[in-house]
Amino acid sequence: MVAFSCSEDESTAPDEDTDAFDRKAMLINWADNIIIPAYTAFDDKAEMLLVETQSFTADPTVSNLENLRSVWMAAYLEFQNVSMFEIGKAEMLNYRNRINVYPTNASEIESLIASGNYDFSLPSTVDAQGFPAMDYLLNGLASSNDETVAFYTTNTNAQNYKDYLNALAETISTLTKTVLNDWKGDYRDTFVNNTSSSASGAVDKLANDYVFYYEKALRAGKVGIPAGVFSNDPLPEKVEAFYKKNISKQLALKALQATQNFFEGKKFNGSAKGESFKSYLEYLNTIKNGENLGNLISAQFETAKTSLKGLNDNFVLQIETDNPKMLAAYNELQRNVILLKVDMLQAMDINVDYVDSDGD
Amino acid sequence: MKKLIYPAVALSLFFASCSSDDDAVIDDQNIDIPSNYVFERGGESTVQYKGQTTRLQMTAELVKSFMDFDTATEESLLNMFAHEKGANDFENSDLNASGKNIKSKTAASATYFSTNAVESAAIKADFESFISQQVNVVFPNENTVAEPGVAGQVADGSKVRYVDGKGLENNQAFAKGMMGALLADQMLNNYLSTAVLDEATNREDNDNNVLDGDNNYTTMEHKWDEAYGYLYGDPSIPTANPNSVLGDSDDRLLFGYLGVVNSDDDFAGLAQTIFDAFKTGRAAIVAGDYQLRDEQIDIIKEGVSTIIAVRAIHYLQAGKNAIAEGNVKGSFHALSEGYGFLYSLRFTQNPATGAPYVSPAEINEFKTQLMARNGFWDVTPETLDNISEAIASAFNFTVAEAAN
Repeated sequence: MVAFSCSEDESTAPDEDTDAFDRKAMLINWADNIIIPAYTAFDDKAEMLLVETQSFTADPTVSNLENLRSVWMAAYLEFQNVSMFEIGKAEMLNYRNRINVYPTNASEIESLIASGNYDFSLPSTVDAQGFPAMDYLLNGLASSNDETVAFYTTNTNAQNYKDYLNALAETISTLTKTVLNDWKGDYRDTFVNNTSSSASGAVDKLANDYVFYYEKALRAGKVGIPAGVFSNDPLPEKVEAFYKKNISKQLALKALQATQNFFEGKKFNGSAKGESFKSYLEYLNTIKNGENLGNLISAQFETAKTSLKGLNDNFVLQIETDNPKMLAAYNELQRNVILLKVDMLQAMDINVDYVDSDGD
Repeated sequence: MKKLIYPAVALSLFFASCSSDDDAVIDDQNIDIPSNYVFERGGESTVQYKGQTTRLQMTAELVKSFMDFDTATEESLLNMFAHEKGANDFENSDLNASGKNIKSKTAASATYFSTNAVESAAIKADFESFISQQVNVVFPNENTVAEPGVAGQVADGSKVRYVDGKGLENNQAFAKGMMGALLADQMLNNYLSTAVLDEATNREDNDNNVLDGDNNYTTMEHKWDEAYGYLYGDPSIPTANPNSVLGDSDDRLLFGYLGVVNSDDDFAGLAQTIFDAFKTGRAAIVAGDYQLRDEQIDIIKEGVSTIIAVRAIHYLQAGKNAIAEGNVKGSFHALSEGYGFLYSLRFTQNPATGAPYVSPAEINEFKTQLMARNGFWDVTPETLDNISEAIASAFNFTVAEAAN
């Protein structure tokens, strides 16, 4: 108590009323130059995915299967550019969980296909839909192309397999159009005008969504959980695109690049940069006279990228042959959790709005 | 929160200054207060609370069975609630062999319910209705997307929650409500009441070392330990030093939440305060110092009531934040837990008044507000703030301190 009263006269609040950063300019750069173009690009890919899925199910051949696989992979990579924006309609739809919960639940998928009766809007089906479910149906049913195609031709349930695959692609496309159309409609203005520096302000909200994504979906989901950071043993079956096998690194790198680009305010189409977390930190730096946090974070993104690039294309193989290297990459990703979640959010006076759930 | 922390700090500083030559502490009235909850007579422990452990285990298994969509029935869950000796209600055969059950001790304390059978019956019926609602309304809609007025699933991040038509998870209401209606009520309003501790010749027997039948304890000692067992009775919690597993036990009832509250800087020390009071009060009984015992009872009543109030506010505020962000369905899990803790508030006891911190009438009014129209689908942030403020103002902490 005494200690507190001693410091009364020297306690100052340096950033009170002095933070005049143009939040609106940042929100406009985010919405117009990054988020909407990224959704537009993914929407195109999702539509192609739907078209190729319908082609394959109309004419299930090995050649159509291979086309579909390559479009599926392109769309999955493109999705990494929008996964972090779980705000507005995306949040309401539980968008990320409906597109990319993994590991997918193969036995549940099989039983839904057998019954022919499913509703993907049911939250309990998140692990039976999205890209991971398509991964299972395109890459996980059998070891050869001919055997895979047979599920869609000669299998007694072939029609159900085809219907299910179509429903998966349709759902990805429909959800994406719903989110994109909302951004193109009223939500863009709602978002850029919500400049308040409170928990409900757009900057605070998206900052939280962004850090949450980086911490939970990217660092933990793509690397930490399969590497066994949160369990007694490594869990290689929990890698992203488990059945495709050799693209888990590519997906992780794409996601990491997307989070770095967003941090630096890089326009989605082009290399120009606008107002961003990084420019905000630079601005705060000029008034706080501290370390250049923005540069530290950018440098750490580069370090983490280098570390990821050194891994096997197939994280399952990486974990099984040399897991310490996987853990080292995790550590580099983790360093930016601290810089982003603690240092950056504190500098911006943004409260973390999520906590680890108490498990029940 | 400062008021509650003071006794512990003052006590522990005082203890520290005179405990250098022994790990047992001697206070100025020459009472031995052991460092752990260890009390013996003739070299044998006098501490025993098997009945409490049984009821905590029954509660835990019943709560788990609420989510057993495939095999649980209304009858099987009601049988677990009102278990009869020998009936095959539980997986754990020790529980089946027991003659104890949950229902008979729900809203059954000497202080609040001995002459209040009407309310006691109504509360028991509430818990039975959580069971019936779960089986008859939520189970059939296992594969339905919840809507206002329609039971079913809601997404909570990557988790799935199962709610009734008002957005309430009946399993959460039951589990969090039990912490008050069974645990706190038996502990604070029954075993720690003078009506029970000092019943009949308990004081005289305790003073004269007259033991309870063949047991190695006096009746008063045992009553105190039964109160202790409602907080620390889960089998994963060591009797002597329960706080050694604080935040790390299998308990999902009051002790589990004591760990959560204690980990909030605003309430750090609460677990130690409560444990010290239990230990000191038990030592006071051994020494026949009933004034010291009663001082500890007041500390326990305030401390355990605080756990319930802090979590009620915490969850109501978490729900409010989700609603304010436009994520109405994402608020249901927090609000369901908040509803259960609000229910439990009726069983708290303010030692200054001998009554709940918030009046039962006010609590009922709050429950009505939460469940009005379509319940959590319609509840407003203003309502949640008003309830939170009303609870906090009855205690010595703020909504902000409890919310974070």
